[in-house]
Amino acid sequence: MADTKTPQEESRVGRLRAIPGFGSAFIFVILAGLVVGFSIMEGTAFLSAENFLTVAVDASELLLLAVGVTFVIITAGIDLSVGSVLVLSSVIAAQTMVALSGTPEQVHSYKFPNQEVGIPLGIAAGLLIGLACGLINGLLVTKLKLTPFIATLGTLGIFLGTAEILSGGTNVPYVPTAVQSVIGTRNLLGFLPVPIAIGMVVVILAILALHLTQFGRYTYAIGSNAEAARRVGIDVERHLLKVYTLSGFLAGLAGVIDLARFNTASVGAHTLDNLAAISAVVIGGTSLFGGIGTIVGSVVGTFIPAVLRNGFVIAGVQPFWQEIAIGIVLILAVFIDQRRRSAEERM
Amino acid sequence: MSKATKGGRRISRREFLGVATAGAGVAFLGACGGGGGQGGGGESYRLYLIVGVTGDEFYTTMECGAQAAAKELGADLKVQGPEEFSAAEQTPILNAAIQANPDAILIAATDVTAMIAPIQSAVNQDITVVLVDTTIKKEEIALAKVSSDNVLGGRQAGEALAKQIGEEGKVMVISVKPGISTTDQRKQGFEEAIEKYPNIQYLGTEYCNDDPTQAASITTSTLRSNPDLKGIFGANVFSGQGAGTGVRQTGKKDEVSVVAFDASPTQVEDLRRGNVDALIAQHPNDIGNTGVRIAVEYLKSEEEPAKKQITTGFTTATRENLDKPEVKKYLYKAEC
Amino acid sequence: MHENGSGGRPERDGPLLRVRGINKSFGAVQALKGVDFEVCRGEVVALIGDNGAGKSTLINVITGVFPPDSGEIVFEGERVEFVSPHDARERGIEAVYQDLAVAPQLDAVANIFLGRERRMSGIRGRLGFLDQQRMRRETDEQLEELHVRIPAPAKPLSTFSGGQRQGVAVARAVMWASKVVVMDEPTAALGVAQAGMVLDLIRRVRQTGIPVVFISHNMPQVFDVADRVVVLRLGEVVAELDPEKASTDDAVAAMTGSLRDEESA
Repeated sequence: MADTKTPQEESRVGRLRAIPGFGSAFIFVILAGLVVGFSIMEGTAFLSAENFLTVAVDASELLLLAVGVTFVIITAGIDLSVGSVLVLSSVIAAQTMVALSGTPEQVHSYKFPNQEVGIPLGIAAGLLIGLACGLINGLLVTKLKLTPFIATLGTLGIFLGTAEILSGGTNVPYVPTAVQSVIGTRNLLGFLPVPIAIGMVVVILAILALHLTQFGRYTYAIGSNAEAARRVGIDVERHLLKVYTLSGFLAGLAGVIDLARFNTASVGAHTLDNLAAISAVVIGGTSLFGGIGTIVGSVVGTFIPAVLRNGFVIAGVQPFWQEIAIGIVLILAVFIDQRRRSAEERM
Repeated sequence: MSKATKGGRRISRREFLGVATAGAGVAFLGACGGGGGQGGGGESYRLYLIVGVTGDEFYTTMECGAQAAAKELGADLKVQGPEEFSAAEQTPILNAAIQANPDAILIAATDVTAMIAPIQSAVNQDITVVLVDTTIKKEEIALAKVSSDNVLGGRQAGEALAKQIGEEGKVMVISVKPGISTTDQRKQGFEEAIEKYPNIQYLGTEYCNDDPTQAASITTSTLRSNPDLKGIFGANVFSGQGAGTGVRQTGKKDEVSVVAFDASPTQVEDLRRGNVDALIAQHPNDIGNTGVRIAVEYLKSEEEPAKKQITTGFTTATRENLDKPEVKKYLYKAEC
Repeated sequence: MHENGSGGRPERDGPLLRVRGINKSFGAVQALKGVDFEVCRGEVVALIGDNGAGKSTLINVITGVFPPDSGEIVFEGERVEFVSPHDARERGIEAVYQDLAVAPQLDAVANIFLGRERRMSGIRGRLGFLDQQRMRRETDEQLEELHVRIPAPAKPLSTFSGGQRQGVAVARAVMWASKVVVMDEPTAALGVAQAGMVLDLIRRVRQTGIPVVFISHNMPQVFDVADRVVVLRLGEVVAELDPEKASTDDAVAAMTGSLRDEESA
């Protein structure tokens, strides 16, 4: 049982290992392989800053969902309602902006005199709704003790139905176009699209929180053994409340970005976003059983399908083959990662 | 929280095998699933057709017409489309197509507002854009628009249904979702037509979100609450299909008349069996064909087309005229 | 963390922890009937008894997992009530439960500091940033002092054997206990060598003046390390044995009911 390393050597290796985010190195290798493969096949059509930026922008909403869901899944929970929260947040944000940016006559003729007030308040409303939806999910799980799958399956329908009622089933029209020009399609410093910048900030904060703070430590602990966490005095219920609220907030943020990118709240879309987010998280190495996962892994997991689709469209592969290929790569990626993981563990 | 550093482990044989398999798989699929890559013959133009949703025979027939025109004109046409009829799914595909730097893109926009920005982006990069079938609010940024006159088609459907039910009784419409230009216009045309019949009672429109199963359950539940419903108008392929299924399920195909837009193989089957009574077939083959022609014509001559809005026609198919050649050629195909 | 007291012979002036007249029922089953039990500084007390005798229930009452139906707990001369394990821990009573209560995906340092993480100083600390280096250092120091060897402190506990995991759980309790250590079957999953190390650890704890209460089914180990053996049967204390004078047969007899008198040391 005695170890052969000296304590100093051990802590050095331990510190290396603890560098946040390197848990899913292998998935990264797969992503790199795909990039190399498509670059060889398609040259500069694929391998260009412009293409990568558009891929990143197109993936920016899913990335936010995946980051939020990562925290939830690490606690051995799940959030199926993220797509609906996205839609509801974008609807409420859009309607707030429309209502506050001018009178109905002005707005219907695309004039928005009060948009300086309307747009920020609309954004705030969208984020608050995301927060509230997450809180509702958290309360259902902690107070009513519903299993997360059932609770969020229910709220998936409730939030989406609410969005459809509020919007009449149509995409919200007359949203001030400044939303799109200032946020959705603007480039910071001349080249960095705002959605990507927001995504990067969120990812960095999430990495810090998950790997370096008590909040992150408790997230892992609860997913690993909630009862043990309770025994040592961690308020598990309160922590889960925070985690689900975070997931809802990020879905709300994604909804605001969606509104900014398309200048409308798309009510009929995003129906499969929850599965896409969970797939991204699982590809990235997070275990559905809890206790294991990284943010970087989820980022990579978001980009693998995105890069696959992008590369295939540029290459002109028929759409149905794309789906088969994505499915195969998913299974392959998760399989190899799991083999590697169980080789590391004894027993 | 086991973490392995990226640099600290040599890649094992298994991992290398995995990456190699992934890379080879990608390359293989790319080679067999698609056309070649860049730089074809110097003369041939490269075109992309981005449909509204894959698997819809309307768009498949459009693809056939487009491919036929492309072949004739010596152009290279690639066809792509999203799995869900939504802007969020179609935008990444359009963006990727833009990256492939084609000479022209034909697109069936999945949202009148949301697709403006990405299409504008294509136009800004000197890619010729032709709108096919559905359109966007800012039509003028595209070179041209080729579509059915959907208001006219809706009116034709209204007349056909009125005739089927003897100009009296309750009718309803099943459509996709609000905000799609084509189906909204058909609904509009239908409503205009039946307004002229004082004895026809209009129950309103329900939306099935392009899901035939949902359309079927809307049909069956409406028949339960309104057993004297006499006519249904299904505003697109899946709506019409679902309405036919629903009518068949309730065993009411002799009492309820269904007029559906579009003529997919399943709908034609429904027509033969009597679940549906008339089909308003668009001419997607012509839409695709004309779209390609306009694009290539412009690329060659660099002159804007005289007519920027081209409408294609309709053919009403009934059990009686189904097999006549002039009707048969307009029925939709599942493959070219 | 525990401090090194003035190591030496066990002292007996006034019990550190005493419970009197403890009753606890679960539905129709009465698990504890009028139990009196005490622990003095610097002694090792073994709690033995057949299955269902009430040992784990008594432990749970002492460590605050649930309150007794009636009876009193007196700690350091004061009457106390434990609403949760947190209360007991605040007073310096640490426990190792039979299910270990460790998080397998976390490493040894994280498990040992679970719920008691050290934060960084200043604003980073208030934001919740953990001082990983300090925790690792303190773990190393404490484990060295206790002569506990843990393989790979930075690997998750799921890569440890059952016995190694138990070692971490025991080390955690010992590191944090400032007054009493309570253990429920601490050597249950261990091989001979590892069990021996746990017993050594118990002795070392006793040397610091902190008493240890432990449940065990292993008579040789009990008689090896305990100063006093308390026998429970069907919820009552039926005997107290002095391991130097009594034999394992006496203990078994008391457990199963053949011995009715009390023998006190």
